[in-house]
Amino acid sequence: MTADLYPRIRTGNPQADDVLGGGFPSNSINIVMGQPGTGKTIFAEQLMFANTHGERPLLFITTLSEPLTKAVSYVQRFRFFDDNKLGDQIQYHDLGEALAADGPGAVVPWLTTVIKASGPKIIVIDSFRAIHDLASSAPRMRLMVSDLAGLLSAYDVTTFLLGEYTIGDIERYPEFAVGDGIVALARHPLSSRDERFFRVIKLRGSAYLEGQHAFRITDRGLELYPRLVSPLIPETYEPLLERVRTGVTGLDAMMGGGLWSGSTTLVAGPTGAGKTTVALQFALEGVRRGEPTLYVNFQENPAQLRRAIDALGMRADEAIARGLILRYESPVELQIDSIIVGIFERIRGGDVRRVVVDAIGDLAMAANDPQRLHDYLYALVQHFAVNHVTSMLTFESESGATTSAELEHRFSNMSDNVIVLGLGGEERSRRTLRVLKTRNSGHDPMVRELDIAEGGARIV
Amino acid sequence: MNPSEHTNGHLGTAAPSGRALILVVERDPHIRELEAYFLDEAGYAVEFVGDGASALDMARALLPHIVITEILVPKLDGLALCRAIKEDPALRETAVLIFSILAAERRATEAGADAFLMKPLAERRLVETVRGLVAMRAARTRP
Repeated sequence: MTADLYPRIRTGNPQADDVLGGGFPSNSINIVMGQPGTGKTIFAEQLMFANTHGERPLLFITTLSEPLTKAVSYVQRFRFFDDNKLGDQIQYHDLGEALAADGPGAVVPWLTTVIKASGPKIIVIDSFRAIHDLASSAPRMRLMVSDLAGLLSAYDVTTFLLGEYTIGDIERYPEFAVGDGIVALARHPLSSRDERFFRVIKLRGSAYLEGQHAFRITDRGLELYPRLVSPLIPETYEPLLERVRTGVTGLDAMMGGGLWSGSTTLVAGPTGAGKTTVALQFALEGVRRGEPTLYVNFQENPAQLRRAIDALGMRADEAIARGLILRYESPVELQIDSIIVGIFERIRGGDVRRVVVDAIGDLAMAANDPQRLHDYLYALVQHFAVNHVTSMLTFESESGATTSAELEHRFSNMSDNVIVLGLGGEERSRRTLRVLKTRNSGHDPMVRELDIAEGGARIV
Repeated sequence: MNPSEHTNGHLGTAAPSGRALILVVERDPHIRELEAYFLDEAGYAVEFVGDGASALDMARALLPHIVITEILVPKLDGLALCRAIKEDPALRETAVLIFSILAAERRATEAGADAFLMKPLAERRLVETVRGLVAMRAARTRP
């Protein structure tokens, strides 16, 4: 048996295809479930417009939940829409009239006629769940679904049954038993916006990426951010035994000569302790050494960050021209999935050598699930290590709570090195730095004074 | 090629319509319905039978141009049916197309099948294969 026997139906979204192991297996029956407004119809229409190659048509069949005219009119708002494809390649049909006249028993004869007449490559039925409302009995509906599955399996067509199903419906309705694939779209309200998730519940005979994958609906359709999982560590993987300079005078000496290449360093401290300055110096040191560096930032807007870079002895424009990549995300619109996946995509591109995330506390605030954030960051750190990307994560600890226990509990277990910045002295005007932990390296455990003046921070 | 061009007594029994005759061994009602429709549309006469033993009897009686058989049929499986057809001198001109849910092309070839297709049914692939077999058979039996 070869993969060629079962070519994949692409979704029109490369990330969704990745989650699905390449797409939906052809000649399968798939259920796309989710409450109204979750994006089922858009997902299906995007898939259809991505599969118009070839001579066989694709059929979008409405039943009773949404008038045909609505389905057609809304799809025109998306960039994937192409009216040249309507008619010959993508055909919209209305099954509602036949259902109203003959009930669910009309489905199989109607589809048989359509298959004979047009030989479709893909059939979408929206909504299939609505047909249950016309069934006079559950046994009759079950017989119809069994007969329908027989027809759709006999012919070379890939089918998508859309419906406003709930998780409880999976055990109740017979289409879930005959379905080869089940994909659930969900929408969870947050305080000021919604989070949407895509999840594969079943994909018969195919590997897929488990778990919830965040997505947005834009004018391009669904934009999906696959859940980041830890990389398989290659057997041939060996850490690079190279030291990476921090760019902070005196700090390398405290850490055995610098950071190990591919290591992750957590820089924690209260507001004003110098975290961003240290992180920027680390980034600019990379730029000076010709190492492309990604700086992800949630607090300073681009203008503020440029000023901060200028103050460190290298003009921001020059730094950018020499390989500094600045990515600013408003903390209000922050969605951790898009940020983490965005960083990962950059890393996968292969050229980034240093990464700064300033600050991971902002990510924690944006995540409604702390465990999910932890899992994401852990996976990201593993990708850093395998790709020899040296990273620095800043974390704003509450004043007076900068304890090793807190950091250990939260993020330090995933970091190779932990640096704690502090404020002391009268009116907390004296900055301090302490190396709390270095993995596979000796370090100076003493609290040292950190002086920040023109040109940046340095250990006194 | 017009299927009715190859329907004299030596080359297989023509259906009363004058069309080339295809005997299909299939139990799935949806496959039967769709095969009947698409082959009829393509200009062939189609007879159906539900098991391998009956298919062999019918083949000997009707001398069809082509036998299309699933492997998973009762009494005599599709591969055994194929071997029986190929061993019967009276059916030496009957082409056999194994059309199965199983990915068994090698086994079909070993059984002597003239062609193999895997389900599901794709009408273009099916009709083109049938046309090819009819043409091949005609070329082989041309005086």
